[in-house]
Amino acid sequence: MTNHWIDVKNANVVLIMGANPAENHPVAFRWILRAKDNGGKIICVDPRFTRSASKADIYAPLRPGTDIAFLGGMIRHILENKLYQEESVRKYTNASYLVSPEFKGPGDAAGLFSGYDPKKKAYDPKSWGYQKDAEEKVRKDETLKDPLCVFQLMRKHYSRYTPEMVSSITGTPVETLLKVYETYGSTGKPDRSGTSLYAMGWTQHTVGTQNIRAMSIIQLLLGNMGVAGGGINALRGESNVQGSTDHGLLFHILPGYVPVPSADLPTLEKYVEKHTPKTKDPASANWNGNRNKYITSYLKAIYGAKATKENDFGYAWLPKLDPGMAPSWLVLFDNMSRGKYKGFFAWGQNPACSGSNAGKVRKALGTLEWMVTVNLFDNETASFWKGPGTDPAKVNTEVFFLPAAASFEKEGSITNSGRWAQWRTAALKPLGQSKPDAEIMNDLFFKVKALYAKEGGAFPDPLMNLTWNYGFKRADGTVRSVDVHAVAKEINGAFLADVEEKPKPGQPAPKEKKLVGKKGEQVGGFAQLQADGTTSCGNWIYCQSYNQGGNLMARRGKKDPTGLGLFSEWSWAWPVNRRILYNRASVDLAGKPYNVKKAVVYWNPNAVLPDGKLGKWEGDVPDGPWPPMGDEKEGKKPYIMRADGVAAIFGPGLKDGPFPEHYEPLECPVQENLLSKQRINPAVRMFSEGGLAEDVFATCDTRYPYVATTYRVTEHWQTGVLSRNMPWLMELVPRQFVEISVELAKEKNLKNGDPVEISSARGKVEAVAMVTPRMRPFKVANSTVHAVGLPWCFGWFTPGVGDSANLLTPTVGDANTMIPETKAFMVNIKARG
Amino acid sequence: MAQLRTGFLVDTSRCIGCRSCQVACKEWNRLEVDKTTHQGTFENPRDLTPNLYNRIRFIEKADGKGGVTWRFVNERCLHCGDAGCMKVCPSPGALYRTTDGIVGFDKEKCIACKYCVSACPFNVPRYGADDKVSKCHLCLDRIGAGMVPACAKACPTQTLQYGGRDALIAKARGSGKKLYGENSLAGLGVLYALEGTPEEYGLPADPSIPTAIFLWKDVLKPLGILGFWGSVAAVLVHYVTFGGRKIEEDPAEKGGDAHG
Amino acid sequence: MGKYVERFDTKERILHWFVAASFFTLLLSGLGLYSLLFHGYFDLFGGGQGAILVHKLAGLVFLAASLLLFANHVRDMSTFDDDDRAWFRSLGGYLSKDPNHLNSGKFNAGQKAFGLFMGGATVVLGITGVINWIPATFPAGIVRLSLLLHGLFFLLFIMVVVVHAYLTTVGNPGTLESMIYGNVRRIWARKHHPKWYKEVGGE
Repeated sequence: MTNHWIDVKNANVVLIMGANPAENHPVAFRWILRAKDNGGKIICVDPRFTRSASKADIYAPLRPGTDIAFLGGMIRHILENKLYQEESVRKYTNASYLVSPEFKGPGDAAGLFSGYDPKKKAYDPKSWGYQKDAEEKVRKDETLKDPLCVFQLMRKHYSRYTPEMVSSITGTPVETLLKVYETYGSTGKPDRSGTSLYAMGWTQHTVGTQNIRAMSIIQLLLGNMGVAGGGINALRGESNVQGSTDHGLLFHILPGYVPVPSADLPTLEKYVEKHTPKTKDPASANWNGNRNKYITSYLKAIYGAKATKENDFGYAWLPKLDPGMAPSWLVLFDNMSRGKYKGFFAWGQNPACSGSNAGKVRKALGTLEWMVTVNLFDNETASFWKGPGTDPAKVNTEVFFLPAAASFEKEGSITNSGRWAQWRTAALKPLGQSKPDAEIMNDLFFKVKALYAKEGGAFPDPLMNLTWNYGFKRADGTVRSVDVHAVAKEINGAFLADVEEKPKPGQPAPKEKKLVGKKGEQVGGFAQLQADGTTSCGNWIYCQSYNQGGNLMARRGKKDPTGLGLFSEWSWAWPVNRRILYNRASVDLAGKPYNVKKAVVYWNPNAVLPDGKLGKWEGDVPDGPWPPMGDEKEGKKPYIMRADGVAAIFGPGLKDGPFPEHYEPLECPVQENLLSKQRINPAVRMFSEGGLAEDVFATCDTRYPYVATTYRVTEHWQTGVLSRNMPWLMELVPRQFVEISVELAKEKNLKNGDPVEISSARGKVEAVAMVTPRMRPFKVANSTVHAVGLPWCFGWFTPGVGDSANLLTPTVGDANTMIPETKAFMVNIKARG
Repeated sequence: MAQLRTGFLVDTSRCIGCRSCQVACKEWNRLEVDKTTHQGTFENPRDLTPNLYNRIRFIEKADGKGGVTWRFVNERCLHCGDAGCMKVCPSPGALYRTTDGIVGFDKEKCIACKYCVSACPFNVPRYGADDKVSKCHLCLDRIGAGMVPACAKACPTQTLQYGGRDALIAKARGSGKKLYGENSLAGLGVLYALEGTPEEYGLPADPSIPTAIFLWKDVLKPLGILGFWGSVAAVLVHYVTFGGRKIEEDPAEKGGDAHG
Repeated sequence: MGKYVERFDTKERILHWFVAASFFTLLLSGLGLYSLLFHGYFDLFGGGQGAILVHKLAGLVFLAASLLLFANHVRDMSTFDDDDRAWFRSLGGYLSKDPNHLNSGKFNAGQKAFGLFMGGATVVLGITGVINWIPATFPAGIVRLSLLLHGLFFLLFIMVVVVHAYLTTVGNPGTLESMIYGNVRRIWARKHHPKWYKEVGGE
């Protein structure tokens, strides 16, 4: 989230779209109710009338996969009715930038942007560049009138998203669309804010990234970024998934969202060169310009003294991606299907149920020589070799099961959606032989290290050179038991030598040597990290979390002086305990808040600093300590993580276009995209062209005429490995079910409670029919489209409850992230037995 | 009628149907699992059971114009001020009132007569395999230790609130909701804040002790005692006034005195 | 001619005392159920659950015995003639010291009414007793009505039994012998049930 959970109570309007917080974040839902208590309005947009919708003031039905059409219509409404906050759009975004005259949008180019290569299925973004002047500075039109300025291009692009067009795509009645647009658009006023709460309902589509981009544009237009009760807020799905992405568990990032190097960047210098954005604008902080400090400090953290200037700080030991390789989940299991892997760690996961196209995943597991699963209970993955349709005699995979401890049996931090890293202690000891993951990794590390020492190997250095200072080292060099505090301290980072304050460029050296930090001390914040190897830091965004003052994540202070619920002394939020990101966009050029009553930060020009200077920010940790943008000498623009310091309405860095455009899901119920000639996202990888029978898909196929979506329920957890083993939870939702409309039930002669079979081009699943008026057919163009929905928390390992919904879902993912499109695909349904 | 000092409020406008209350209750009271099947609704189990002291009723209604309402209502013992179950219970201490106004139960004193099942206007008491009464007791043990009931503690949205009855009433009134149970049955210990009519939530509009129970306990019982002693008195008065009807000896009768 | 004439045979007397004994068992075991005020009576049966068990068993005995007894006497209770109407008009002569002679059959009108009431009350108490025994199998409204009727008819029953006990002992000396020994003195028969006396061979 750019904001955080408690902040939702400050919103005048809460837009729940692409999420179902009542069911999936029940504890946090109280903050949405507080917003309601405070007079706010709740809007819920969802294909189903969910438990979240039951608490909303406005519910809008939406055909799965048509969010961009819906949001595009809102953008058009905001522009047409001048609901946007002019000054912040003009000054804090790239709305004024002039784009190359070569640029063409889908309205002109048959549904595509300019620069598309159909053979590569990719865009060359050259025509998406900005016009530059003689000094290579971007040309702008601050009046926002030039037809080639971003603002006008945006207006032109979204002029096609009329309410009638949107309604015929999404199936949402026009009056409901307008009601939503008006209500949400009202937050464009300076004293009103709207918050966007989203989750997998937006991300798990081939246009997932663009869904969020569309909302970002709306929030930027309405001035809802950096303000109390605003922001773009992802509701993370797993308790510590925020922590997992923060610490680099995804294939493309190192801890702190630092890019993983590709093999065509053989030296640290080349890496820094490629991944450090540059700007000549003195008003742009360009914080990613500090990249070299973070990658170097990271290498020093993991390789310690072995990482030296001479050996490029051990950069050669970092694993590299093949150029252009994107080993996302879908690619991994595709490779596995083709026999490319000997072994596989299924660590804290159940891919046989969680993986899209679960049938392909289950088959792929059978190609492995060995698999190690680390989990709390036996499950469909660990026992894939005796699953339905699998003959154990024909499976040659050796499977090891390492029992893991549960979260409350371990000490450590969990980072919530709001970036708050909250430290927890263990409530009980692990049961039986189960161990915390850290202990398992620790044992594994030393075993592999010993094997390398004994037998050698192709390239042992990356592993052998790791410092691994995670606990008391015995005489033989092994760590008996992981001290999680040692890990946390390494993540925070330390000074490896006395570090002096360096003079600012163009300024003389200070008379007295001032120390930034002493050797051996914990680093106080990432501004103190160095690129010369004198600091270590396992994750720059967590720098400060365990500083010289101690474990800030364990704090439980309840002071809330602003009344906005920042609770700055409760735990610790990254970065540097800033609770609301981009908060300098919440003030005008002079630093005065647009909404004085709910000011997150404000510039106090009369405050005296210790060094005698005047002027500082009050409130939340400012998003950059520099004076407001209006200060000609030292002011900086508010979006410090972007090279040019402003937010992107035009976003040329994405694979599928600089403006979000509605495309249909891969499997869709309409022959044609009503908006353009391009039916699906042109930049997605088509696994169906790879030659594996499992990657089949069926669109506009009379065998699979209904749109299906998948989701979670409050009562179960992920694939159900934990919750299916909890009898009190099984009592609540005992088996797989499918929600269908009264109209569809009538058509198929189904009654509530009937056993049914749902099938797609890839597999079939048994379920109980839940016939309900909360599902309604959609009027799309001139036809009726029926939608059904089912949860994915069941699997064959629990007898009699039905198998995973992912047996139905397709092998296709978002063009940028490759997250699978499990929220919109086509199925059929019939009575069973 | 007991003085109700503490109370429990169910603010239905906040309920998200998560069932934390159902699970927390089972966990705290160490209740058995109920075997359920999926009947095409989230609502499960479909009724209170001896092992389910409180549950959520799911009420969905289409308005015929494409709209739908979906309400979640917590169902449990309402700890009535004038409790039907206590009225009919023949075993002292099996159902009892605490100083806080809660109706507690003691399985050891329960004699399994099941009268309470018939006397409850809300159909709450349940009998299980142990043939003893079972119902929500508002976590008497937790309250005794200064804590709130397990369900209220677990409820993520403050739908279930435990506290001073008057304070809860004032708060609910203040937010403009309709209060259910303020005065019925001498004031319910568990009140509801509703956004519609009681019927829309599956609650009886005007709950009262069932007529037959009232007649049995409040009419028949006192009249019965009167009637019994009345007939005894009538008989005594008759004897004193008229005496028994003696039969004279008939000298003509011959034969022995012994009965043949 | 002996001094006595037979009124009730062995079977009838046994049934009557089974009814009486089971009734008193039902009374004692049921008082605690009738009202919390009488919970002390549970102690006679080792507690409330013991009392309920005894009440159920005694109830079955009572039901069977009482129905059999009723069946046995029903012929003598089911006709009403002018003599009976005369009996009712003067309330059997019980409200005067020296009543006129009333012409009654084996059972006088009062006794007939009593017998019929007992039969009806037995049925009601039996059915409602069964409903109260297995309430889960009946709709709630039926069970509530059943509890009320069971209590009402118990009450009527005990009131009537008090009168019956008086009239068959202290109130009419010589009556009790009929139920203990089975026969009554001729003079008793001639006085109380002249029509019956004639039928069984008296003058």
